[in-house]
Amino acid sequence: MKKIVTILGFSFAVIATLLAVLPLFKFAFIPAILALIFSILAFLKARKDNSSTQFIQLGLLLTIISLVLCTYKSIFSKSELGDMQQLEKREETIKEEAIEELNDIDIEDLDLDL
Amino acid sequence: MKNLLFTLLLLLSISFGFSQNNNAFTFGENLTFSASYNMSGILTDVAEVKMQTSKMNTKSGTLMHLKCTAATYTSFDSYFKIRDLYESYVNPKNIKPYLYHREIDEGGHYKYEKYKYNYKTKSVDVLLRKKSTNFTNGYWDQNKSVKLNYNTRDLVSTIYYLRTLDIKKAPIGASDTFTVLFDGKETKCSFKLLAKEAIKTAIGKKECYKLAINVSGSNVLKGSNSNLIWLTADENKIPVYAKFKIAVGNGELKIKSATGLKN
Repeated sequence: MKKIVTILGFSFAVIATLLAVLPLFKFAFIPAILALIFSILAFLKARKDNSSTQFIQLGLLLTIISLVLCTYKSIFSKSELGDMQQLEKREETIKEEAIEELNDIDIEDLDLDL
Repeated sequence: MKNLLFTLLLLLSISFGFSQNNNAFTFGENLTFSASYNMSGILTDVAEVKMQTSKMNTKSGTLMHLKCTAATYTSFDSYFKIRDLYESYVNPKNIKPYLYHREIDEGGHYKYEKYKYNYKTKSVDVLLRKKSTNFTNGYWDQNKSVKLNYNTRDLVSTIYYLRTLDIKKAPIGASDTFTVLFDGKETKCSFKLLAKEAIKTAIGKKECYKLAINVSGSNVLKGSNSNLIWLTADENKIPVYAKFKIAVGNGELKIKSATGLKN
């Protein structure tokens, strides 16, 4: 039982840490909370059995790091657009081509109904 | 069987009402949206979507340039960069398209489409372009001609055309089907009025028409009545909120700002 809880706690902690560094950092809260619950359970069980808690502590450390990181990112990170120059350049090129093609349309066509 | 046929005919007869002249938007309208990915109720802003209208003077008259762009935020650019452009040149009165461009660049996947509508020959000249190493210019072009039926539009002009419809006269449950040209193929896209409800948006609390979108024969949007759009129940009929179900989860589109409104 202790082994399963410890492995689950550590696995969720690793997932939470990985998600916390990615742009989808908000999703790290779910595994981080699960990691926290399983790690605390494993820690209490280990103390009761007087066995080593080093591995559990590592899991807890990762959980705390991921929670701090995603909380910080949730508060301070802003949604900003990056390099738009390439898109703007393409827009201009397409627009120039469009003007040439649209100049061929007769004004009468605008009132045409199918 | 008779009842089924009657119900079908009744449903077909209940539509959004006749199209009226465009009183919903004009040149210079700018709508900005934030696209979010939703997983287990946690929303993450992924991209920004812009819808703009502008005037386009040609030798023969004035057309309306409808432009939609989608771009991922900087945090996502290094993982999956999206820079999409959709634009349509339409008649400002009845939103009939004359030229359509779609250029998408999604995580290195490039596609270009051009539709040139010819109302005299009742056909659309379609150009589909993809990247290919088999050709010296690096692109593979496919040209074809598609029959232009009554009310055939592209994706951009359909969204704007929907705003010109007289929805206020339509009863709850009314639906309308449009023929949309997408990927060079005709697709039937239906909108069903589900309810009229008030929702909170970045531009204030708005009374809205809640519409369900159904695309037949498409793998893009999943589920029935899972793809919804809220249009303000005023003359502008601004799309303020949209929910959609795709293969990899749920997405949302929320309005951030709206300027240059007609009414």
